[in-house]
Amino acid sequence: MNKLKISNDNITLTSKDDKLSLSINNNSKFLGVQDLKIKVTDNTDLVIDCENFINKLDITIKILTGVHLNVYESKSDGEYKFQYKYYLEEDSFLNIEKIIDVSSINEMTIINLDGENAKVNYNLKTISKREEKYNYLVYHNACKTSSNIINNGVNILDGKLEFNVSSFVPNNIKKCEVNQDSRIINMTDNACIIKPNLFIDEEDVNANHSALIGTFSFEEVFYLMSRGINKKDADSLLTRGFLMKGINYYKEYLEGLINKYWR
Amino acid sequence: MDTLKIVNLTVTVENKVILKDFNLEIKAGEIHAIMGPNGTGKSTLTKVIMGDPNYKIKKGKIYYNDKLINKMPVDERAKLGIFLGMQMPLAIEGVTNADFLRTALRSRDGDNFKLYAFIKNLEKLTKKLHMDPDMIHRGVNDGFSGGERKKNEILQMYLLKPSLVLLDEIDSGLDVDSLKIVGKSVMDYYKEEKSAILLVTHYHRLLNYIKPNFIHIMNNGKIVKSGDESLALEIEQKGYEEIIKEGPNE
Repeated sequence: MNKLKISNDNITLTSKDDKLSLSINNNSKFLGVQDLKIKVTDNTDLVIDCENFINKLDITIKILTGVHLNVYESKSDGEYKFQYKYYLEEDSFLNIEKIIDVSSINEMTIINLDGENAKVNYNLKTISKREEKYNYLVYHNACKTSSNIINNGVNILDGKLEFNVSSFVPNNIKKCEVNQDSRIINMTDNACIIKPNLFIDEEDVNANHSALIGTFSFEEVFYLMSRGINKKDADSLLTRGFLMKGINYYKEYLEGLINKYWR
Repeated sequence: MDTLKIVNLTVTVENKVILKDFNLEIKAGEIHAIMGPNGTGKSTLTKVIMGDPNYKIKKGKIYYNDKLINKMPVDERAKLGIFLGMQMPLAIEGVTNADFLRTALRSRDGDNFKLYAFIKNLEKLTKKLHMDPDMIHRGVNDGFSGGERKKNEILQMYLLKPSLVLLDEIDSGLDVDSLKIVGKSVMDYYKEEKSAILLVTHYHRLLNYIKPNFIHIMNNGKIVKSGDESLALEIEQKGYEEIIKEGPNE
């Protein structure tokens, strides 16, 4: 297990095993830009907890052949501008669980599935209160690669939430699995945006994308209310379910956030 | 005595009349079965009693225990003791049965809610209904078969202890064994709680287990014939069309 603490303008490694190597470049710190490079050589977990970070940060993570990496990442407070670049070699697997509770954010995530059978499973949950924009470029550069990008956000207060997900499969890159699933529960009158793009130049591909912006369905709310649960509690229960679904590492942390905003 | 009284009720959905001058009275301790061809308004009746806002009451009144409930929100009707076991219970991903049932019971009982008693009761009920005890940690009806969903409705009925139970085609999607379990459980509940029950069904087979005091045949949004259990047998033999042609009771 490896733990990174990123706060103010400091990046600190608080726990480390011998399964990854890491370098922090602070040369441009005075310009407000920092750089973090990670190479993962064996199966391991990486926890990244960010709090009120003020600089731009570029994170590059390279996962070597056959390696399985779990990334658990939380961001709180602050106005974030992060860029991620992931490189996945043959038979590697990247599993990301990410919880966001920030003032504002603008993120770019680039995932390169470079080796056959490389897989990424990405699960983001956010409670958006101001401007939040998440951009993804997912490149299937080898056959039999798989991507599953799930973005779930609840938009409240002054929130304006945007998910832009683009997945690319070039010609002759066969038997890939491409999935995007973005959903925003918008509890404001503000506009939210989802752009689910599939750029596929190959026929032998299994691709799905879904995008939904709205409130909870009438049927769901009616079902709960028909058991004596009032509208406010029904919405709260559905919000909890929506955000908690698929979350393992940050269950308790997310529970705390939900209680903060909905109790 | 708990009584549901429906007087001259006319209901529309998207400007189409579904119930027309409908009348019915159900007292505590009575089981009424509504039968009839498809599209005659049987499910609409249960939803309108529960307070589904998609169904517009154009005329008439619904009273429960002398209280007019036409405009009452659905959660308040549930708190009055009205329960709807749905034809196609919804799956809600992410919301666990445990969270859902706890919230429902806390809404009803407030500070009197007892967690330990809830857990023990749940254990007993999952056993009675032949349900997997782990279902409590799964999403509401998420990944449940048709039969499991119907059993989950009956489990909720037992936990919430309603005085008026509306069961909309609770037999659909059930195999023979599950039908027996569900039917028997409804009858046990009826005997324990002396509740009022309104059943909507197409088939006589459910009535092998649940014994109604009254059977009503609905057509074109109103009751066209009423009788006792023998009417259900008559339906099996003659079919709805012939019985409806014969006209109302003399």
